[in-house]
Amino acid sequence: MNLNFDKQPIDILQALANWGLIFGVLVCIGLAIALIMSVANNKKKGVSRFFENLGEGLRDLFGMSLKRLGAIANLTLKEAIRRKALLVFVVFAVLFMFGGWFLSDTNNRAELQLSVYVSFVLTAIGWLIFPVALILACWGIPEDIRLRSLHTVVTKPVKRSEIVLGRILGFIGVGTIVVGIMSVLGYVWILRQVPEEVQSRLVARVPVYGSLNFRDREGEDSEAGVNTGDINPYRSYIEGASKARAKWTFDGVSPGVLQTDPETGEAALLVENSFQAFRTHKGVIDEVLHGQYTLVNPETDLRVQLPQFPIYEFRQNLAWIPRELIYYNEETKETETKDLFDDMVSDGKLIVEARCVDVGQFLGMARPDLFLRLPDRPFASSFFKSVFGIWLMMVLIVVLGVTASTFVKGPVATILLFTLILVGTGFNQFMDDILSGEVRGAGLVESGIRILNHGNPIVEKPESLEESAAVQGVDQAFTGMLWGVSHIIPNFNMFSFKAYTASGFDVPMKVAVLPALLMVIGFFIPCLMLGYFSLKLRELEAK
Amino acid sequence: MSQLDSKSRKLVYFAGIVVLSIPIIFLGMPSRGAEGSGGKLAQLRGEYDLGEATLGKVDPSSATMNLVLLGFRGVASSMLWKQRIEQQENKDWAGVKATTESIILLQPHFLEVWRFQGWNLAFNVSAEWDDVRDRYYWVKEGAKFYQEGTVRNSKFPELYWDTARVIGSKVGNSDEKRYFRKYFLNDPDEETFGGGADPDINPNGIDNYLVAQDWYQQANDVEIMPGIDQHILMRMIFRSYPARSQFDYAKALQDEGLFNEEGHAAWEKAYDMWTTKFGREVFITPAGGVRLEFTDKDLEELAAEDGVTVEEKQYWTDKYQKNVNYRYWRTLASAESEEAARDAHRNIYDGKQLYRKQKFQQSEKDKEQGGGTETWGAMEYFDQGMKQLETLLRDYPDLKNEMAAVEEAMLAVMYWRNIYELRGEAIPQTFPLQDIWEANQGMVPEIQLQFQRENTY
Repeated sequence: MNLNFDKQPIDILQALANWGLIFGVLVCIGLAIALIMSVANNKKKGVSRFFENLGEGLRDLFGMSLKRLGAIANLTLKEAIRRKALLVFVVFAVLFMFGGWFLSDTNNRAELQLSVYVSFVLTAIGWLIFPVALILACWGIPEDIRLRSLHTVVTKPVKRSEIVLGRILGFIGVGTIVVGIMSVLGYVWILRQVPEEVQSRLVARVPVYGSLNFRDREGEDSEAGVNTGDINPYRSYIEGASKARAKWTFDGVSPGVLQTDPETGEAALLVENSFQAFRTHKGVIDEVLHGQYTLVNPETDLRVQLPQFPIYEFRQNLAWIPRELIYYNEETKETETKDLFDDMVSDGKLIVEARCVDVGQFLGMARPDLFLRLPDRPFASSFFKSVFGIWLMMVLIVVLGVTASTFVKGPVATILLFTLILVGTGFNQFMDDILSGEVRGAGLVESGIRILNHGNPIVEKPESLEESAAVQGVDQAFTGMLWGVSHIIPNFNMFSFKAYTASGFDVPMKVAVLPALLMVIGFFIPCLMLGYFSLKLRELEAK
Repeated sequence: MSQLDSKSRKLVYFAGIVVLSIPIIFLGMPSRGAEGSGGKLAQLRGEYDLGEATLGKVDPSSATMNLVLLGFRGVASSMLWKQRIEQQENKDWAGVKATTESIILLQPHFLEVWRFQGWNLAFNVSAEWDDVRDRYYWVKEGAKFYQEGTVRNSKFPELYWDTARVIGSKVGNSDEKRYFRKYFLNDPDEETFGGGADPDINPNGIDNYLVAQDWYQQANDVEIMPGIDQHILMRMIFRSYPARSQFDYAKALQDEGLFNEEGHAAWEKAYDMWTTKFGREVFITPAGGVRLEFTDKDLEELAAEDGVTVEEKQYWTDKYQKNVNYRYWRTLASAESEEAARDAHRNIYDGKQLYRKQKFQQSEKDKEQGGGTETWGAMEYFDQGMKQLETLLRDYPDLKNEMAAVEEAMLAVMYWRNIYELRGEAIPQTFPLQDIWEANQGMVPEIQLQFQRENTY
């Protein structure tokens, strides 16, 4: 059970700055449009009307009553339950009653089953909450308008901002009940379904990752190892019995990372790897390849070579490194003793070098393939963080859905949001790849011309196209639009943490949870403002 | 608008329902099981063998999935195929297995799905693992997947044949065969199988080639049923596989140094299966039916039956014999059933074992004391084996044209020559199997590689 991706923590300050910039620009554009429309509709009084409305709006947004919000949210909750939103539990119950039939396979390896069960539960919760949140959020306000109940509400001393936020909170409440119950039941279901022999593997490993550099077969620094032809270039390979090394530098290494080695009962550093083997010749068939670590002090360059170890692919290869290191010094030809922290760590930094032992064979590795392992957390920690991710996704759907429903009707809002989710889930990466030039295919018009001329993306660009300013200009405009769209449509994949949980890892806060949380907040603020002004300015009778 | 009141309208609706129900019942009434029972659709389904139950065991979960998906089965299965490819690229093996199972729920009677996915598990996924025990696990998964395919599609002979191919060829003839064959009898997952065989693929704990033979036979039994065809091999070659598996079994015992009665019986059974079972089957040629194993009387009778000349029958029989190399396999089985052949192979095998132990020659002292074969070194065994093999090839000259026999002879000579070289002695001018050695010099590099492989691990 390994990770097959390498997510880096986000730069929060940079992210906030970007958000502030985009938000500010959008607010300015919105205000400018509103001012122009106000002047156009009200002539001379337009400017003062604009500022009146703006002031009122700000008062409405910042002066909401918690009591009234609670009342609207409560009513929304009751209404959702009356509309049989909780029927989703029937589907959930059916899925889980019979899910075991589809998933259990007595012949399958228990450790493989584990990740299948965990993925199934988290996927099921995500897929079931998705339509509930989508339909409730998109149909709530339009239904109120259609049934004229909103006409009654707006005559009461309730601010429209409270209607929007109350609705959002109410739907979030429904979603929270649904997600909460499903996640608890799902958790119990996993505990009951997972075979007894692998129950002990239901943990949340806490890794400390380092930065990875390579040295090639000549011993020179290099950015990556060798590509052995794997279709997925995620891992780089180092050649066995050569000077090729993979070098991880860890920060913040202190005695706090030590755990008790179950064999010796002493405090030791637990290092785990998930290297992969690549053979250029059959070698000894019934023996797996071997690797070897060397600890290096980044300042003194003191090197301590540790014993060789076998690489069992797709499993947890653990190495307990004792605090007291006894090793054979090649230079002095003597057995020496060093202290892991006093002699090998400088300023909290430690380098772990890995090499492949077998001649002519290769070991493949990516940054997350070697990490220092802190004491495990309970499985529930990782599971419920994943559930929290699903909850955040639900919140975002509700926020977007309610916002959309303030300016369009229910079916249109549903289609709009469904499209947003579809693009945000399935095409986000694709858009990024087009923008970064990863996907070859040129711009929209150029691609069209190439298709008509039966020219694939590999074919050199014809000179006529190269010179055509019109084609280039239009393509650039479309690419700019795509850039805008890719930054406005939320990436819904950010809410899926199940790869961590299913692989037996804790969900990292900085890398996974925090960016997802910030994204929801980032959408919540403008959506609330947009929803409020839409509802305030729209003609309720225009059903 | 209608002038009818509510009650009358309801009566009209009801009458409409009753009237429309008549053709629906006529067309769609389910079968009661007896032939010709049920509505028109049920009868047609029975007539053309299109019912779920006639294709194989019905899986309620699969039927439910297809029903629930309404018309989106194609979309869903395409998405699952894409997902499985991505999972394989990301080496998410748990996902690959789970997605494969899901694809099968959606496409339970699509032959190519079973063939592709089974192959993928047994050959592609297994090759991704470094530990030979892991590789065996995935080979088993492939075999089990095919087995499940035969349960769900009892009338696809290809799936029985594929099961046999994985259990026979993949287990018995891959680079890892030395381990796979052992694991087939004693599964490496001792915790689950207690040191015995995995009962799902080897319930009786017997040799992989014998299990494969049983599956090949089942493939033949299905293939011969009326209205069923296989589309992977020429029919005659397809039907030769049960006997071919017996040959593989006998050869494997020989390669592993089992020269006892079991090995002898295996060759005899191979001869018997080849000549009296497969050889006596009637295959249809442009000149009517032929038997690969025949007497003059057979030829005359078949010629008379089909109204063609004996010469025509002889021509087509000869042509078909060549297609499956019939005479070679018959000669091989016949030759290998002889005591001399067994002795030749045993001596060459013992010679190789002693070579690996670096006991190259009988010691002078043993020689003086007239020590028996137990004191021989590799050289004496090769000398003896090569002489016996030469005699065998003289008695069965057809074997000289076949690669396997020539390879064995060339390899024995290479070992023998190597001993001389290692000892720094001149290679004798004349030696047994010399004509084969000299006639096949082009094969030396290949034999050299085989020699290295045999002595590397």
